[in-house]
Amino acid sequence: MSTISNSTNIFWQECPVGKAERQKLLNQKGCVVWITGLSGSGKSTLACSLSRELHSRGKLSYILDGDNLRHGINKDLGFKPEDRTENIRRVGFIVGEIAKLFADAGLICIASLISPYRKDRDACRAMLPDANFIEVFMNMPLELCESRDAKGLYKLARAGKIRGFTGIDDPYEQPLNCEIEIQQNNGVCPLPAALAGQVVTYLEEKGFLQVE
Amino acid sequence: MNASRLQWASSSPALSTGLETSSSCSKLGFVNFRGGGGGCGDSLKTKKGLFVIKAMDVEGSRTVNLNGHAGDSDKNGSLLSSIGNSTNIQWHQCSVKKEDRENMLKQKGCVIWITGLSGSGKSTVACALSGILYRRGKLAYVLDGDNVRHGLNRDLGFKAEDRAENIRRIGEVAKLFADAGVICIASLISPYRRDRDACRALLPAGEFIEVFMDIPLHVCEARDPKGLYKLARAGKIKGFTGIDDPYESPLNCEIALRHTGGECASPCEMAEEVISYLEEKGFLQA
Repeated sequence: MSTISNSTNIFWQECPVGKAERQKLLNQKGCVVWITGLSGSGKSTLACSLSRELHSRGKLSYILDGDNLRHGINKDLGFKPEDRTENIRRVGFIVGEIAKLFADAGLICIASLISPYRKDRDACRAMLPDANFIEVFMNMPLELCESRDAKGLYKLARAGKIRGFTGIDDPYEQPLNCEIEIQQNNGVCPLPAALAGQVVTYLEEKGFLQVE
Repeated sequence: MNASRLQWASSSPALSTGLETSSSCSKLGFVNFRGGGGGCGDSLKTKKGLFVIKAMDVEGSRTVNLNGHAGDSDKNGSLLSSIGNSTNIQWHQCSVKKEDRENMLKQKGCVIWITGLSGSGKSTVACALSGILYRRGKLAYVLDGDNVRHGLNRDLGFKAEDRAENIRRIGEVAKLFADAGVICIASLISPYRRDRDACRALLPAGEFIEVFMDIPLHVCEARDPKGLYKLARAGKIKGFTGIDDPYESPLNCEIALRHTGGECASPCEMAEEVISYLEEKGFLQA
């Protein structure tokens, strides 16, 4: 069966195997864990640790981050250097749409990107029905991120060699209602494994790691 | 070999560590750990001063894998290394690989790219295929050209460059799904050879399985499931594949599903042909 959408010639194809069936097969519920924060705040590290922890429990997850997107789908998006805000929005949109597909497939999709603007993150949240969007905020101080400077980007930004670098001369808008906020404990960063445990506990409590 | 890695901070007044168990190991040794109380994890919490943890050295790197709990003693009882207060142990990234996911799912990720004229039966075969795979306990996902145009590709139209971009994005997404271990079934007209070949090039050899719905135009037009051929013939749609836009048949597809004589095989029969191919090539096991 198919139905016409508005005035276009594009139809909606339905299939007997849907999200519910796939979730039953995987014994988990598809969702998006969206990890946001400054460069160097530990997003990728947490994503890896989380993925490993889920895998050890027999749960299927997949990480979407700059590494597997930048040279792939985001390669030729026609970025105009002068339109940074728009470029960021488009990256957020693309990642959000892909994450939505992965969640529909039944996977726990871990998106890890700075995503500095509240509006763009909220737009991704709105794409996902049924509260399947879990925003994880890596709330690490700029000084800490800068001292790590894992990719040498802060140094370049301070030297004026990169313009519009988040945290230096472009804002990071903190989430107002994230599901999980990660912070230091008395100035010490919790270990990735511990943080992964925190996220897994949340997923467990909310029923994502099983199907009734 | 999939050894999990442990990351820990250098010992300090607030020594904390997390323990991960490893699925496999090559060597066993000991790490002499100087720590203070007040740290987080598990059985280390109660230990102060020197204590011993069973450790595994991986590839002679600076990463040390830990397995088990503090206080376990190894048969050897030998010390691997001594870590003092000022030691800085590197954080190491670890990730679950495609192979790990495939082992867990008991299948191999790939892209089944179903191409053909409108009305040739692509979506129908895609659905039938996903049904058979599901009943066999395999995880598949259908990326239908029409459905993706409602979401990810909703900013694209039907002119040549938009079609190319539509296909490119779907190819990239399908690649991600295959990497995730999913059997990704892409179902879209994808009329130009160059665009399909570009998607093929994204994937490792053998993981892009092109399925050509080799159904003659007159059969597709007679079906006209969406009434589009009628609109195209009336000039109400321009650049419609098969009518006033070309369809370039694959030259080297893995599977061609044909219309033989006056009869068409059922979607299930066609899907079974694809299943046989997947089976033969080992995609339906880890």
